Parts: sequence; C-alpha cells; structure tokens
Amino acid sequence: MTDSTNPATTDGSAGGEPLYVLQSVERTFTKGGVSVHALRGINLTLAAGEMVALEGPSGSGKTTLLQLLGALDVPTAGSIRFAGRELENASDRVLTRIRSEEIGFVFQHFNLIPTLTARENVWIAMVPGSLPHEEQVARASELLRQVGLGHRLTHLPSRLSGGEQQRVAIARALANKPRVVIADEPTGNLDSETGLEVIDLLSELRDVAGVTVILATHDEEIGRRAERRVRMRDGSIVEDRAATGILS
Amino acid sequence: MVSLRYAWNELRRRFGRTIVTSLGLALGVGLVMGIVGVSEGLSDAQNRVLSPLGSVGTDIIVTRTVAATTTQTTTTTTLPTGNPGRGRVGPGGGGFFASGVAGFGESSSEATSLLNNNSSIITDLAKLGKPGTKFTHDFLVPGTLITFPAVAVTDVAKIPDVTSAVGALSLQALHESGTVPKITATVKTGGQTISTTMKAPTLTTAQRKAEGACIQKLLVKNYGGYFNRTTRPAGASGAPSGPGAGARVFGGFETNPAVLKCMTPAQISYQEKVLVPEQTITEYLNPPTTNTATSTYTVAGVDPNNPNTGLITKAQLVSGTWFTAHSADEVLVNTAYANTKKLKVGGTLTINSASYKIVGLVAPTLTGNVSDIYFALATVQRLASATGYVDEVLVSVNNSSNVGTVAAAIKKELPGATVLTSKTLADQVSGSLSNAHKLANDLGGALAIVVLLAAFLIAGLLTLSSVAKRVREIGSLRAIGWSRGAVVRQIMAEMLGIGVIGAVVGLGVGVAVCAIIGAIGPSLSVTSTGLAVGASKLSGLVNQATTGTTTLTVHLTAPVHLATVGLAFLGAIVGGLLAGAAGGWRAARLAPASALRDLG
Repeated sequence: MTDSTNPATTDGSAGGEPLYVLQSVERTFTKGGVSVHALRGINLTLAAGEMVALEGPSGSGKTTLLQLLGALDVPTAGSIRFAGRELENASDRVLTRIRSEEIGFVFQHFNLIPTLTARENVWIAMVPGSLPHEEQVARASELLRQVGLGHRLTHLPSRLSGGEQQRVAIARALANKPRVVIADEPTGNLDSETGLEVIDLLSELRDVAGVTVILATHDEEIGRRAERRVRMRDGSIVEDRAATGILS
Repeated sequence: MVSLRYAWNELRRRFGRTIVTSLGLALGVGLVMGIVGVSEGLSDAQNRVLSPLGSVGTDIIVTRTVAATTTQTTTTTTLPTGNPGRGRVGPGGGGFFASGVAGFGESSSEATSLLNNNSSIITDLAKLGKPGTKFTHDFLVPGTLITFPAVAVTDVAKIPDVTSAVGALSLQALHESGTVPKITATVKTGGQTISTTMKAPTLTTAQRKAEGACIQKLLVKNYGGYFNRTTRPAGASGAPSGPGAGARVFGGFETNPAVLKCMTPAQISYQEKVLVPEQTITEYLNPPTTNTATSTYTVAGVDPNNPNTGLITKAQLVSGTWFTAHSADEVLVNTAYANTKKLKVGGTLTINSASYKIVGLVAPTLTGNVSDIYFALATVQRLASATGYVDEVLVSVNNSSNVGTVAAAIKKELPGATVLTSKTLADQVSGSLSNAHKLANDLGGALAIVVLLAAFLIAGLLTLSSVAKRVREIGSLRAIGWSRGAVVRQIMAEMLGIGVIGAVVGLGVGVAVCAIIGAIGPSLSVTSTGLAVGASKLSGLVNQATTGTTTLTVHLTAPVHLATVGLAFLGAIVGGLLAGAAGGWRAARLAPASALRDLG
C-alpha cells in the first residue's frame, strides 16, 4: 500500500494516548421484556497501528464489541474513548461523521451495493465527503488497483467472486483514509485460501499505511495472523494476549 | 447530498421494482385523468348544449315568451304602463301579431290572445279559390315568442359594452295543400233601421212664435184643443202604423206633412233616417282536415348585414355563400332540412308563389333557435305581416365579464323582457347530462381522490417493502458514513424518479382512457325548460307554445386539458415523493449497527 497521508500515522498516537480506551463497558439489549447482556464489564485499550483479532464462539459478544468500536452503537454503561473523544454520549451526527472520516468497515457478507459497479461501490463511501466528484472516482479506481482489481472497475458485484467482492469492500473501507478498519468475520464467506489472501491484504494495510485493524473471527488460522488476540465468552474478555502464531 | 448516479442505477438495475411502483402510480394518475376528463367532458358537453349564445357570437338573448303557468319562472312581470312613447304597443291591425300582444309586459290575457291568434289564423280558405279547386299555401305563424317592435334592438344597442345587437324573427310555417272546401255557412245580416235624433238649430223669437201659432192652428183643427191636457188619451199612445212608428211622442208629429209646413227648412234638414242594407256573407268555417295535407317547418329571419352575429352566422355556412345584395329573394337552408327535402345550393324554394334562391346551406348550432329556412329579416316580416317586428334580440358584449351588467341594463331598459345568458340557461338545465355532470363533480371528485390515495398507498407499500429488502445495503451506507438525512434523500430521489416515470406513463394511460371514453362516447340527454328560445325546434303549433322545453342528446367525450396534464404530472410526482418519504422514514429508523450480522 502506498497511502502516504493516512492520519493514523500522524496523530493516532499524537498525545501518546491509545486509540481506544474502554472502561466497564456494558451493552444490554432488551427485547420483549427480556434483557440480554451482550457485553459485561469490558475493559480494553487498543493502540494505534495494532492488528487485533477478536475470537470466541457465536454469541460471545464479538460483534457487539465491534459495533461499539466502530461507532455504530453506544454502550448502555461504561465509557469508550476513541482518539480522545467520548463516544458513549455522542450524537448520531457525531458518530456518523466519525464513521465517515475515521473508520472503515469490512463485512462478512461484503455488503456491496448490488446496483453499483466495483468502482461506484468504492466511490459511494466518499459521497458524504467534500472531495470533487472526479477526484473521488479517480481515488476509487486507484484503491481498486491497489487491491488488485484494476481490471474489474466497472463490474457489478454479482459478476465478481467472493474474494474479489471482499477486496472491493476493503478498498471501500480505505476510501476516506480511516484510522481504523473494522472487519467482522471478513473471511466467513470465503474459502480458506481466499480468506488468507484477504487477511494478508489487511495485514499489508496495517504494515504499509499504519491503519489499525480490528477483526472478529472464529478461525484459529486467521487469529494466529494477528499480533494480539482477544478471546471472549459470554460477553466478557477471557483472554487478551499477543499472538503466538507466525505473522506472514 | 444526493447521488443521482446511485439513484439512476437503482432505478435502472432494479427494473422490476421501478416498473411495478411507477405503474401503480401511472394507473392511479391515468384513472384520475380519465375521471377528470369525463368531468371536463361533461362540462364541455353542457357548455356546448347550453351555449347557443356564445357559439354564435352571442352573449345574451332578449326574448318575450308566453308563460305557460304562473309557476314558470321565465316571465312574471306585469304589463308595464310606462314608456308609451317607445312604440311598444302593437299595431292596430294587419297581421296576427297585432292584437293582444301589446309590446313588453305580459299577462295571462296576452297569452290567451296569442293562442287565439294562432288558432284562428286560417280564416277563410274560400279566399284561396273556388270550392273544389286545388290549393297550396304556406301560413306563417309565430312560435312561442312574442314579437315586439324592432326599436328594442336599437335600444339595446345603445347600452354600454354592447358590441352589437341583432334582431331576429322565428316563425312556424304550415304548409297546407288540398281542395278548397265546399262547406259553407250563410249568415243574413242587416235590415234594421236605425234612427237618430239631432238637436234642431235655435229659432228666433219671431220664428218660434210663427211656428207655435201654425202648430196651434193645426192642433185645434185636428185634435180640438186636446193638446193642452197634461195626460194623453189612451188612444193616442196606441201603436200608430206607417213610417215613424218608432218615434212615439213626436214621431207622427214631426213626419206629419202638415206639421212640416210649420217648420223652418233648417229644422227639416236635420231629420235623418238610416236603413242598414241587407246582405249575405258566405264564409267557409273550420277547414276540413280530410282533404288538407299539412306539414310544418320553421323559418327565421336574420339580418343579412350582420354575418357574424345572429341566429346563424357566416361561420356556420357549410356550402354556398351568405346573403348577397339581393337578400330579399334569397334563403339559407339548414343542412338537415336540405337533406330531407333534397334541396341544393342554387335551387329554388317557392313559398306562396314567390320564388327564393337557395344561396347557401348552414349548420346551426345544436341548440338555440334552429330553423329550417333562413330568410332575410325583412322578408320574413313581410311574409308574416309583421314588418318592423322581431321576436328576439341577439346581443354580443365586448367582454364576457360584462355580460351580467349588460343583462341587468337590458332588463331595466326593457321591463318584462326575458334576458337569457348562458348562466341563466345553465340554471335551467335538467336531464342526464346535468345529472351526470353533477355526479362527476361530486362522486368523481371523491373517486379521483380515492384512486389517487390508493395509488399512493400502493407506491408507499412497495417502497417500504423495497427498503425492508435493502436493510443491509442501507445499514452499510450508514456504517460507511452516510447520514440519516442522506439516506432519506437518496430514497426520496429514487422515488422522485419513479414518480416522474409514473407521471409519463400515467399520461399515456390517461390519454388512452380518455380516448377510449371518447370512442365509446355514451349518449347523454339534456332537457332545458329555459330553452324557450329554441321554440322552433318544437313541432306542434299551439301546444308547444306553452311548453318551451327542449331535449337534446350529446355524446360524451373526455378531453385532456393542459391543466389536467399538469395535475396528473404533479400527482404522480407527489405520490412518488410521499412513497419516498414513507421509505425514508423506515430507512431512517434502521440502526447502523444492523449492517453487521443483520441476517443473524
């Protein structure tokens, strides 16, 4: 990756402060009078430029934690500081702005817009921004070339393979030069070989651009590629350690 | 911030949804156009039927009609006594228009008089020839309208804002042919003696004395002084025979030659005796119907110098020309009448042994005063012995907004006149057309709203369903930084596009619906009691003079007006936006977190 202007590299650790500081975070969903404690007392600190794998079985709270880290949701209790800002009381407008400018997402089901071409899918993430349209399109093309899809610019998602779709999604996640890329089971819909390619791509991102990558997975192989592994169970962190696996 | 490219791609690549949703709107809009079209068509039909006025360049018709009953609203005025100098009193004789129809103002006696005139016009068939000979004659009789002096035309023309006022005269014509009947009635008249007594010139004292002495001498000689008694003897009062029997007291006296000798010559010359000569009048009474064939047609007199205003106008010419300089010998014939009678331009029409050249065929408007034959006004007046008389004035006004004030001015100027404007005609309309129009206005309006709301609802539901299917897509947009407003605007933009497509398709549907209605063209009838001006449509003679009801049939069309098109366009777009708002509302409620693991 040749992204020279990634803000994460400049001010992500500007004040020596960690990118994320979570303290006693609770997230409770109430539906039909039944409360589900998805997260219970999470304390977590993440530094800029880390590649973190959230591991654990289904229902352990990985996705809920990712939603909070991705500024998609706010905790019912506790606090989240992201790059010096409190997220727990932020308005939808502020969260939207943070998501737009500082966070990129990669989804298990790719979540590309089926009516838009690969390039348009990357470009659509830049629409809320202030870049002129021509530059947006040019940047979208450039990002797709960087993920190896320079020849697929005008293909609709339905004409792309799963791996290609996820590459488009990664290009989209990078469109606004985020500090963080949050990936929820990015390999869940891919065969293992393609999955590893995607993880390699994310790893390369972190290495080259200094983007913090937080991914949820229940694939040991994938987890081993992260330098920090956080294991969860029943809404709590049960293990937090540096990865022992071999980084590629 | 709205991405048109994105919206366009959504519409293009979700073609099925786009088509279904916009077709829903299009059908709604098309149906509304049809409903509005029918309503407009009914309005047009009503105007077409009820505006004999405007269609011939006439804004107001001034007439006098015979009121059939006291409840009829057309004329309720009493006989005006003022303005005798206007010459509104009919002529003393000559023609059946005269007596009893005393200018403006009407009473039941006038109506009766008019009817009497109508029924007694065929007076003396004996005048048509000797009994047994064949005759053919055209009788011109008035319709329901009362004639009035043509001075009213100039009076009306003087009213401000009146651009022109033209007189017209419409008549029923009875064409009779048959054999002069032999049924006669002989009436012997005369033979009476009428005596008059006149005052004798004053005598001088000497003359009186001389005459007195003379008579005294005579009395003494004949009656022996009896004259001096105060009472008469019975014998003297007995009926004396001979001339002068009717003059009882002095009769015998004055005619007595002896007495005459005592009188002065002046006195004698003042005696007068009238004897009515005996004569026998032979008159043919009611014409026998057994041998007389009668057919009716209608004629009207129009001003040949006014080709643009009047019962017919130059614009209504179908073939031939308008009246020329020889208008007195020319006629224009209604195409319908010409067809049945096989009359052609250049042909000749003979009425009471006078020939008239057919110079043109005309197609008068459906309503109003439709006659079979149009003469120059002067010709009809002469034929009907109604010179100087018209039975309606057709007025055109410089501006339609002035019709009301001019109508009021005419009523003031001509008390008792029936002043018809298109509005007053419209108020007197009944029949299926009127009912349908009312229905279209009342029910049609409600129906249009219901149809439109249904279309909106369908579009809204389709949009909601579409949004529900796009939960992950919309959640992803929110996740990657699209604001709530941006997502809502995006959906609105898509639905605006669908609204525009719906509007265009809906216009096609609407035009098609209107065209189909026009092609089927259901018939509607209209009945107007106010159309007494159309009296010549009526076929009887006397009876219809009291009805004044006209029924016409028109075919319904559903015109597409520009306003309707605009409304339909607007309707579809509003529908699209409403549906978009519904979808946007749904999308705005989606939590951005739903993008992650939304499908569980």
